[in-house]
Amino acid sequence: MVGLVIVSHCIEIAQGIRKLASQMTPEPVPIAIAAGTNDGRLGTNAEQVTRAINEVYSSEGVIILFDLGSALMSTELAVECLPEEQQKNVVILDAAIVEGAITAVVEISLNKNLKEIKDVLKDLSINKMN
Amino acid sequence: MYSQKIIVENEEGLHARPAAKFVQTGSKFQSGITILKGQKKANAKSILQVMSLSITKGTEIIVCAEGPDEEQAVLTLIDLIKGNFN
Repeated sequence: MVGLVIVSHCIEIAQGIRKLASQMTPEPVPIAIAAGTNDGRLGTNAEQVTRAINEVYSSEGVIILFDLGSALMSTELAVECLPEEQQKNVVILDAAIVEGAITAVVEISLNKNLKEIKDVLKDLSINKMN
Repeated sequence: MYSQKIIVENEEGLHARPAAKFVQTGSKFQSGITILKGQKKANAKSILQVMSLSITKGTEIIVCAEGPDEEQAVLTLIDLIKGNFN
């Protein structure tokens, strides 16, 4: 099963998205969150993103969705720090975060592979990575 | 093409978990499946499109499929709605 990581500046946003998305399917889908700074302020940091990726990582892959701006930088840094053989199984997507998470969870529950899920989420892109 | 009309009697309508169950079930078929609600339509394999129809309790919808397993797809989805998504 593909894993999902939600990266947000705000812990409550990330927890809320996880809560909303995980109620879509009766069988649990692996979702991890990385949100806020280490001292509890608003922000993101690469260390937390790395921890979240490891929490849900399998060779089937991981999809990462992020909220805004520097969340992408923290996420990219975290992915770069992964061993090379893991990096190719981890994708960052710029889908709208709530819609993307809900769609990803439903697609993951259908046991779709990383590429299939990526293709579906492409339609929800809001060009945050440009 | 095969289609059937039904009134959704589920308390929650076709939202959240019931919508996800509907999409999961529909996705097992090869046929293209559409839900029609009045003038609006949605791809039954897309969770966001299904939820966007805002199908509440008492709403009449048409489930419509086209492809090699169209009849089986529609009948299975109608059964799912009739059985309140259990």
